[in-house]
Amino acid sequence: MKHEQTHGTPMKYGMAIDLDKCTGCGACMVACMAENNIPFKEDESEKLVSITWMRIFKLSNGKSFPDLDICYLPRPCQHCEGHGGHSPCVSVCPATATDYSQETGIVSQIVTRCFGCRYCMGACPYHARYFNWWDPVWPDGMEKYLSPNVSPRMRGVVEKCSFCYHRYQLAKNKAYLNGGRRVPEEAYQTACTQACPAGAIVFGDLNNPEHQVHQIVKPDPDNGNRSRNDRAFRLLERTGTNTKVYYLSSREWVRRAGDNYLAHEKTGQVAKLHH
Amino acid sequence: MDSALIPKGVKRCPMWQFLLGLGIVGAVLAWGVYAMLLVWFKGLNQTNMNDYYGFALWIWADLAVIALGGGAFFSGLLKYIVGKDELKNIINYAVLIGFICYSSALLILAIDIGQPLRGWFIFWHANVHSMLTEVAFCLSCYFAVLTIEYIPLILENRQLDKVPFFHNLSHNMHETMAVFAATGAFLSFFHQGSLGGVAGVLFGRPFAFREGLLIWPWTFFLFTWSAAAYGPCFTLLITWITEKVARKKLVKDNVIELLAKISGWMIFTYTIAKICDTTRWANITAPGLGQNLADFYTGNAFYGYWILFAEIILGGVVPAIILISAPLRKNPTWRVTAFFLGVMGVSLNRWVMVLQVMAVPIMPFDTWALYYPSWQEVATTILPVAYGIILIMISYRYLPIFPQEAELNPIQEEAAMAVEPHTESVPDLKPANA
Amino acid sequence: MKVDRRSFLSFVIGGAAGTALSPLPWKLMDDSSIWSQMWPWTPVPPDGEVVYENSTCSLCPGGCGISVRKVDNRAVKIEGRPGHPVNDGSICILGLSGLQMLYGPTRIKSPMKRIGERGEGKWQKISWDEAIAILTEKLTDIRDKGEAHTVAAIAGSDSGTVPALIRRFMTAYGSPNFMRSPSQRDVDELAVKALFGGDGRTGFDVENADYILSFGSGFVDGWGSPVRMFKAASLWKEKNITVVQVEPRLSNSAAKATRWVPLNPGTEADLALGIAAVLVDENMLDTRAVSGLGSWKNDLLAAYATEKVSQTTGVAAGVIVDLAKGFAGANRPLALCGRGKGLVSGSLRETAAVYLLNALSGNINREGGMWAMPEADYIQWPDVATDNLASAGLVQPRLDGAGTGKYADARYLTNRLADSVNGGGPYPMQALLVAGANPCHDLPDTQRVRAAFARIPFIVSFSSFQDETAAMADLLMPDHVYLERYEDVPIGAGLAQQMIGLSKPVVSPQFNTRHLGEVLIATAMAMGGSIANAFPWDDYETCLEETLAEKWDSLMETGVWVQADTEPVADTFQLAGMDAPAVQAEGDVNSFPLLLVPYDAIQLTSGYVGEAPFMIKAVADTVIKGTDGFIEVNPQTARAAGLAEGERARLTTPRGEAQVCVHLFEGIQPGVLAMVRGLGHTAYDGHLAGKGVNINELIGPVEDPSTGFDAAWGIRAKLAKA
Ligand SMILES: Nc1nc2c(c(=O)[nH]1)N[C@H]1C(S)=C(S)[C@@H](COP(=O)(O)OP(=O)(O)OC[C@H]3O[C@@H](n4cnc5c(=O)[nH]c(N)nc54)[C@H](O)[C@@H]3O)O[C@H]1N2
Ligand SMILES: Nc1nc2c(c(=O)[nH]1)N[C@H]1C(S)=C(S)[C@@H](COP(=O)(O)OP(=O)(O)OC[C@H]3O[C@@H](n4cnc5c(=O)[nH]c(N)nc54)[C@H](O)[C@@H]3O)O[C@H]1N2
Ligand code: SF4
Ligand code: SF4
Ligand code: SF4
Ligand code: SF4
Ligand code: SF4
Ligand SMILES: [Mo]
Repeated sequence: MKHEQTHGTPMKYGMAIDLDKCTGCGACMVACMAENNIPFKEDESEKLVSITWMRIFKLSNGKSFPDLDICYLPRPCQHCEGHGGHSPCVSVCPATATDYSQETGIVSQIVTRCFGCRYCMGACPYHARYFNWWDPVWPDGMEKYLSPNVSPRMRGVVEKCSFCYHRYQLAKNKAYLNGGRRVPEEAYQTACTQACPAGAIVFGDLNNPEHQVHQIVKPDPDNGNRSRNDRAFRLLERTGTNTKVYYLSSREWVRRAGDNYLAHEKTGQVAKLHH
Repeated sequence: MDSALIPKGVKRCPMWQFLLGLGIVGAVLAWGVYAMLLVWFKGLNQTNMNDYYGFALWIWADLAVIALGGGAFFSGLLKYIVGKDELKNIINYAVLIGFICYSSALLILAIDIGQPLRGWFIFWHANVHSMLTEVAFCLSCYFAVLTIEYIPLILENRQLDKVPFFHNLSHNMHETMAVFAATGAFLSFFHQGSLGGVAGVLFGRPFAFREGLLIWPWTFFLFTWSAAAYGPCFTLLITWITEKVARKKLVKDNVIELLAKISGWMIFTYTIAKICDTTRWANITAPGLGQNLADFYTGNAFYGYWILFAEIILGGVVPAIILISAPLRKNPTWRVTAFFLGVMGVSLNRWVMVLQVMAVPIMPFDTWALYYPSWQEVATTILPVAYGIILIMISYRYLPIFPQEAELNPIQEEAAMAVEPHTESVPDLKPANA
Repeated sequence: MKVDRRSFLSFVIGGAAGTALSPLPWKLMDDSSIWSQMWPWTPVPPDGEVVYENSTCSLCPGGCGISVRKVDNRAVKIEGRPGHPVNDGSICILGLSGLQMLYGPTRIKSPMKRIGERGEGKWQKISWDEAIAILTEKLTDIRDKGEAHTVAAIAGSDSGTVPALIRRFMTAYGSPNFMRSPSQRDVDELAVKALFGGDGRTGFDVENADYILSFGSGFVDGWGSPVRMFKAASLWKEKNITVVQVEPRLSNSAAKATRWVPLNPGTEADLALGIAAVLVDENMLDTRAVSGLGSWKNDLLAAYATEKVSQTTGVAAGVIVDLAKGFAGANRPLALCGRGKGLVSGSLRETAAVYLLNALSGNINREGGMWAMPEADYIQWPDVATDNLASAGLVQPRLDGAGTGKYADARYLTNRLADSVNGGGPYPMQALLVAGANPCHDLPDTQRVRAAFARIPFIVSFSSFQDETAAMADLLMPDHVYLERYEDVPIGAGLAQQMIGLSKPVVSPQFNTRHLGEVLIATAMAMGGSIANAFPWDDYETCLEETLAEKWDSLMETGVWVQADTEPVADTFQLAGMDAPAVQAEGDVNSFPLLLVPYDAIQLTSGYVGEAPFMIKAVADTVIKGTDGFIEVNPQTARAAGLAEGERARLTTPRGEAQVCVHLFEGIQPGVLAMVRGLGHTAYDGHLAGKGVNINELIGPVEDPSTGFDAAWGIRAKLAKA
């Protein structure tokens, strides 16, 4: 269907987000909005119709004053690999408008092909997909800041975090022009990673042992890419979505809030991955 | 006034009454069309759907009408393939209802998608892994089959039938109808199943996800089975309603009872399968993903255990027992109650598989997402109902839908004279396939 | 040819089949889908050459370095500048939103004069010449009547050349009434004077401290230089440093701390002094840096016995001792103060008490400690030669009372402005110039501030934005925004170093605006005489270049200038200010059984620039929903008032009343309500206006008797079902 140039091991871009560091400040959300021409309306308080490729969830340990503890969880698209690239969303899209790249591990979204059936939204358990319920409209004059790297989307299609794919393309072009074959770690960083004042997000190639994200996550390919880091967990890991965004927390209740557990089950110790 | 178009040997209400009825339902239709146009021109922001509730009221209506329209393929299967010949007396109506259901379903899909102008990408850029692709292909093909099944009926209109070409065409089509019925049954098996698969394959959503057989989750088979089981219930319910409105008997009891009995047994077997599925899901599938029933049925204002009871017991066990048991089945009140419960049961099942799937929180820190439809959604959902009523009114008035009508309602001489001033003898109305 | 029914039908059917088989429908289908992919009303951003321009962000006092991506001549993205000493590539939510301000529709696009009633929003565009003529005429009029002192100016800051030009203009003109927006900086400067005996501010070497005891300072909520503090907080995590947050509410900073110690609101000073008492009692002190401790020790022990402090603060005695031991046990412990972002001047007692802890641990003017930093003094202009009119005006008392009598040590008491104008002042105010400040939204008791503004005969706003204060003005003389102008940005906010950043024009001015410095120089020229003589520069850029002198070239090149070794104000800490009475919340306990405390959120600027749409989009739906604003209520308090999550309620304080929505939050003590600061705008556009409640409508200033500063930390309140 399409040819992809792969040299050696394919890449598998992913993130490690340290929830001990994340402050819930929202800089990543806005960095993403600014980078990716994300539209806004006068009222954005109805969060279920508010497009935020990156969204901050507020988690709580459910205790009463003064034992309450809270934690923020930034949620970009998790770029699920599922089983062999069958991400929850990719496998259901009837028009192949979203695809899993074996070259980069990035789940793409081709908005000009999407016809807005929203099946992928139903399939994504992370609510990472957003529908353009309205035509995007920028207040008079503001369309001046729109970046040519990412096309504004039309009404009636689904969009989501692309891991700032255009940055990958630019970095790749640059690498090739310079005669390199691989995109260096620092040459391709997402807008949210770059902005985060707490340095909570680490982005890179999970397959590349030289990349920081690999060193933090230490993915175990023999165990469904589970992390070997005790602080790490993935969202809904046991459903087999096989996400590439890993979260880190030293607090057990936070790690436990990342997945559904039955009362008796131990954190991070559930029987087997599905599929 | 339009007497020349009305089938021979039957009596129809006066034109003014017909037009009045048409006008009232037409107003509702116009309201729906207005809402539809609003949605097309202004976009899906006219609905109350949101990013959690990407599928809502009218997708439920879509799934429900497809399930209810299942009466067409299953009656066809019974008549043409299994050979239950009595069903020829209701098959026309089953086909008409099926045609209405499926055309409605396609219309709803065209309203529902965010980019209707690109809807055909589903065929052009088809993704073979997607249940929706399977649905789109089979649904469109099956709609074509239903159209082919419906056309000869139209051609049997008294005036059209006078054109030799149409007469021959309809005759020849009848001859080959078994082939279409078989094709229809085959297509239906797949698209009904794929619709079940739509929810069942969502492996990120423990509430919807089901294991299965080969590439299909159990919901695939349950949907096909339930459409076959409950579709005839709907055909029979609509027949009953039509009889009430027309104030005359249109189909003989033995035909009704035969179909009701088959439907009863189908519901019975389906309900057993559904109970097995629910038991497995509640005890193995969902807990394997860290969730249990309480997570799905508590903690919100609407979705409680009642829905499970209403779907499986009230909408499954009860109608099955009524329709299987001869004495109950023969009692019109019980029988219609069972039809009603059955239709409710399968509709509720589709509701659960669309709306509740969207509502249940998945991530532990998520909350229930409750939703209520906007008037535009309600209007566009009622639109197919109005359209269906109109199509039934027109078809009933001008086409020989019910082969037994004339026999069951012999026209008094003088009345016949008033309607039919000719002196031709009145032949028995033939069943559509004769 | 006769068309019979049959041939007609054949024609129709044949035609339909023919059309379907022809390319026409398929072509139309394809075209319509392509059209849907390129709807003309969906913008297509033009492509072009990409360049990055470095500058300094001045949207808050943080002073971050930014790098602006431009395509052709459009700024398309603001990013943090890698390698910058403040933020090293990171950036905050406000800094990221800057382009929405630059290009936003709430800009004031040209000078304008009011033609309708005040506040009605009817304006007439005028030329800059006309605007300057109007201003000159008005000011000359007042001055000629010998009333130069009745003109006042409010600026957002008083450091850097632009505020210095305003101040210089006021001096040459003859008014003592230059004011600065209130902030924790007020009490900090005063504390440095009282405790170290010189002019300056504190700086905190947070990166090298190894134990943090924060008295409500929102280190990840916008306190200090925000991005620098975020980075420090992550560094603390990496180094496994104990961070204690003392605060009545579980703020984001409290949530990031190792330990959250909730206490009764307003009792921070008591806790700090209680900890000091434990340090003294257990002799866990390093007294090198403190003078005059001897006899005072006994007073401290008598007044702040642990049990008694525990009673006042609601913090268990064991915890107080624990905190003291933790603090004393660390090598470089650091205590921080200034609630939230430090937007209120604050109490001297509390500030001094917290700084005392740093002094008692010996952690003054050394690595990982608290520094007494002198003010950067690169602005060395010749003194203004005032004429008689000016000299006469300058000896008049200030409208806000600062600098004399019991407020001798305060430089600005902007919190007293409203009362002064409303009749309490020594003389009526005739004209007010406002630059970089939005007092009509940001000062407490906004109703009274607005009433005061209504009495001022002539108001000039230099704001770039249609804010609440600009709405009350008679003349609008819009400044460029920071991305369109040169400006020096001295970076004060809590840095233990002296730093100056440079803002450079990243894009050419988008509208008919003018640099405030230029406008001041032009107005001075127009006024002539000694005023014109005080402004010997051709234009602002010349002024800036001359002022920065040898720093100019390096600033142009690197964008930031860092002073290598700064001599601290003093090395010894004198005991002062701690015996003042505690500042109480306004209101009577019986009619107002609850306490309302403001809190700061990083998603809201709480400052004069107003929130950009992006920021509002990042605000949770438990803070704003539609136009409703929320208060945080402990479920127990809510139950007692019969209120459930999301329900509307009437919140009443001695100063005002508002309809709010209830958000149940276990992170707040029963009996206390919290409301975010910064919402409830009436100006700007629909993306910001009308959302939530401005807490300043509900809270009034409470004067710290020892300084005159506003030290209100909350107000008594009651809550009822709406
Ligand atoms: N791995 C990988 N495979 C790809 C692609 C990819 O990106 N990666 N891209 C695909 C695409 S888009 C394309 S178009 C094809 C292109 O694939 P090819 O058509 O194979 O193109 P090249 O290999 O670039 O060039 C063909 C040959 O032409 C020779 N040549 C150069 N100039 C002339 C001339 O003037 N006359 C003659 N006779 N020969 C000349 C070159 O030396 C070279 O040997 O490859 C496809 N295959
Ligand atoms: N030096 C040199 N330059 C050349 C050529 C050459 O031989 N030598 N050949 C020329 C020729 S013939 C061609 S065709 C061009 C090819 O040049 P390009 O069009 O740049 O082709 P690719 O390198 O394949 O890059 C396409 C990118 O799209 C991404 N991609 C893949 N699938 C999708 C998708 O579904 N959606 C989106 N958005 N992205 C996707 C891929 O990961 C890949 O990074 O190069 C031309 N330039
Ligand atoms: S920018 Fe960083 S700290 Fe802020 S919310 Fe995002 S991940 Fe968390
Ligand atoms: S997070 Fe959602 S949208 Fe992203 S790849 Fe996974 S399923 Fe798809
Ligand atoms: S909404 Fe678009 S991307 Fe999602 S499944 Fe449908 S066509 Fe595919
Ligand atoms: S990776 Fe890029 S697209 Fe995804 S959330 Fe971050 S900034 Fe947005
Ligand atoms: S912290 Fe302040 S100076 Fe730094 S980017 Fe944010 S607003 Fe600008
Ligand atoms: Mo090519």
